[in-house]
Amino acid sequence: MIELIGTLAGEITGEARLIVDIAMFFGLLVIVAMALNFQYGNAGVPNMGCAVQVIVGAFTVSAITMRLTFWIVESAGIKLLPYYSDFDWVYNNQINVHVLVNPYLKEHPMVAISLLLFSMAVALVLGAFIGWIMSLPAIRLKATYLMIVLITMADTSQIFGRNIPKISGGTLGVFVPNVFAWYPGDRGVITAVITLAIGLVAFFIFRTMLNSPYGRLMRAIRENEVTVASVGKNVVGIRRNILVFASGITALAGVLNAFYFSFVVEANYQRAWWTYWPWLMLILGGPGNNAGTFLGCALVVAMRRIIIYYKWFFDQYFFFPISYFEDILLGTLLIVVMIFRPSGLIPEKLLYIPGVPYGRLVREEVKVDWRKAPRARAAGEKPRWMFWKR
Amino acid sequence: MIIPPLLMAAIVYACLITILSIGFTLTYLTAKIPNFAHGTYAGIGIYVSYTISKIMGLSPYVGFPLAFLLGGGMSIVIFLLVINVLQRIGGGAIVLTISTLAIQIFLTAALNIYAYWLREVYHTYSMAFMLKEFDFYIGDYPGVFPVTLILCIVTVILLHYMLTRTRIGVAMRATAEDPELASVLGINIYRVQLFSWFLTGGMACLAGAFLPLWFQSSPTTGAAIITSIMAGSLLGGFENVYGAIVGGFGVGFSEILLTYWLQGVFGSWVGEYRPLIPMFFLIAVLLLEPRGLQGVYERLSATKTGERLIGIFSRGRSVS
Repeated sequence: MIELIGTLAGEITGEARLIVDIAMFFGLLVIVAMALNFQYGNAGVPNMGCAVQVIVGAFTVSAITMRLTFWIVESAGIKLLPYYSDFDWVYNNQINVHVLVNPYLKEHPMVAISLLLFSMAVALVLGAFIGWIMSLPAIRLKATYLMIVLITMADTSQIFGRNIPKISGGTLGVFVPNVFAWYPGDRGVITAVITLAIGLVAFFIFRTMLNSPYGRLMRAIRENEVTVASVGKNVVGIRRNILVFASGITALAGVLNAFYFSFVVEANYQRAWWTYWPWLMLILGGPGNNAGTFLGCALVVAMRRIIIYYKWFFDQYFFFPISYFEDILLGTLLIVVMIFRPSGLIPEKLLYIPGVPYGRLVREEVKVDWRKAPRARAAGEKPRWMFWKR
Repeated sequence: MIIPPLLMAAIVYACLITILSIGFTLTYLTAKIPNFAHGTYAGIGIYVSYTISKIMGLSPYVGFPLAFLLGGGMSIVIFLLVINVLQRIGGGAIVLTISTLAIQIFLTAALNIYAYWLREVYHTYSMAFMLKEFDFYIGDYPGVFPVTLILCIVTVILLHYMLTRTRIGVAMRATAEDPELASVLGINIYRVQLFSWFLTGGMACLAGAFLPLWFQSSPTTGAAIITSIMAGSLLGGFENVYGAIVGGFGVGFSEILLTYWLQGVFGSWVGEYRPLIPMFFLIAVLLLEPRGLQGVYERLSATKTGERLIGIFSRGRSVS
């Protein structure tokens, strides 16, 4: 991976390209899967609408960032082809983006980087907003009602994308500006590196939240929400906050996916790809711990990418497209894992806070300052930076 | 009397959605999970019809008993292999629901593969089709219209008879109320569940077998109509079979008529947004009255005027 970073565009072929591809999709899907682990694994909120949040990120790039880019380029004095009507938006898109905008971005790296940051910020806000809207009908009700609503919403978002060409060019799709045009090497490599970096940041954010008192509250809600409500906590509010926060993070994956392909079309954001596969990763790895999410994500992404990479090999023997074989694999794996390894490959460990006298806690009444508990780490314990031990 | 084709289409669709919604609600009552694969059972029925009529050259009506048996058998296999195993090792409601989603993905992919296989072997276009030309005609009416209407009414009457008068129906209701108490009373819950899964799978597959006689069908039709089925079931209260009859009929009927009406008002582009109508029902029901028509009914019967209204309709009999 590391020696690939310096290579020039077009030099990466064959298996090196496969590695870059796996790294990229691992970075993308680990963000989604970690957000899912945060919601389902730790708080028990079954978010079946990841695809909606991802599609919001992609639509942010194609509908908002692209118009902003065009405006910036036009105010710099470059004449663009008209893009105001539906037809012009799709028809002139290729020339506008590839011939006129990308050379400008190549000469102005700061503009390109700020555009990337801008679209991520907007996607974070919009994703959180969509998460709030999605939570409205059913967050108060049983988990199964929430699942029903969220699953149907994924199709709805695709219908809007398909029929309003101003968002993402309808069924044809639109190219988006290449914000990595200034990078001399391969665009796929830098996107993969940035995606993995963002995934790492997201991981540290989630880990910090899970180790905080709020994280313990989430686990308590997952175990028994009636008990939590009876001690005066606002269960519905906490569930909604979790859904909103994780939705924002999930939308980032959509932004990065759009920039990786430099192309946005609604058909790329089916609920099978962005909801069911992350769920398989979560359940395969083991809900409730991040190490399991990483393992499940790596296994599933590598499997899928290798199947796609050796597609020609499978196509000799199959009379149907390989994607249906993948679907059968997805369904079978999900059920087999749930039956034979209900807690995943890496089961969740019980929450253990160092410094809390659990033994005495059961036998007699001990006063524990729960707010200061995570800081009360005894000397000789494993150091803080060994995050994988958590 | 001339019935416009649009109204016929709406009635056929509403009848089929009613049968599917009843099955969905029955599954929810006995297994306590929403079965997302329920729409895909209908997809299997679609391909039974296709195979019987296009490949074998028979009338699709020959295939309906076969569709019922095939759907029921497959539903039992799913119950034995997946749902029962997961229930026994103590999977919660969410785990079971995800397993039904996995079954839905599996079955949709299997249907697609079957369609490709048909194309490979028989060289027919099996990806999107209608079987209107295999239907029989009574005067100007295609046979599917009276047959679905009669089927729907007969299903509702038989279901009512079964749930109120037969041993297995009473056992089913008892199991839905409280499985542990029912087993204490000597009801074999396992057998009741087997029966209910057979019934729901068979009914769904049968309803699906009617779909291509009027509507364009493809391997993904089954996965697409699950929204309407859930909306119908939810409108009826999700835990009440009689509510599902009203809810399913209402959602199916309004999905077609409302689309037509909105197309007249706003223009033909509204047709693309047809899947939003059951979605709208779903969200409106959850926001206004999460328990659907059953909740409305209970609220009505709590007031004096409502009691009198219900008394007029039920003529003094107690309605459960």
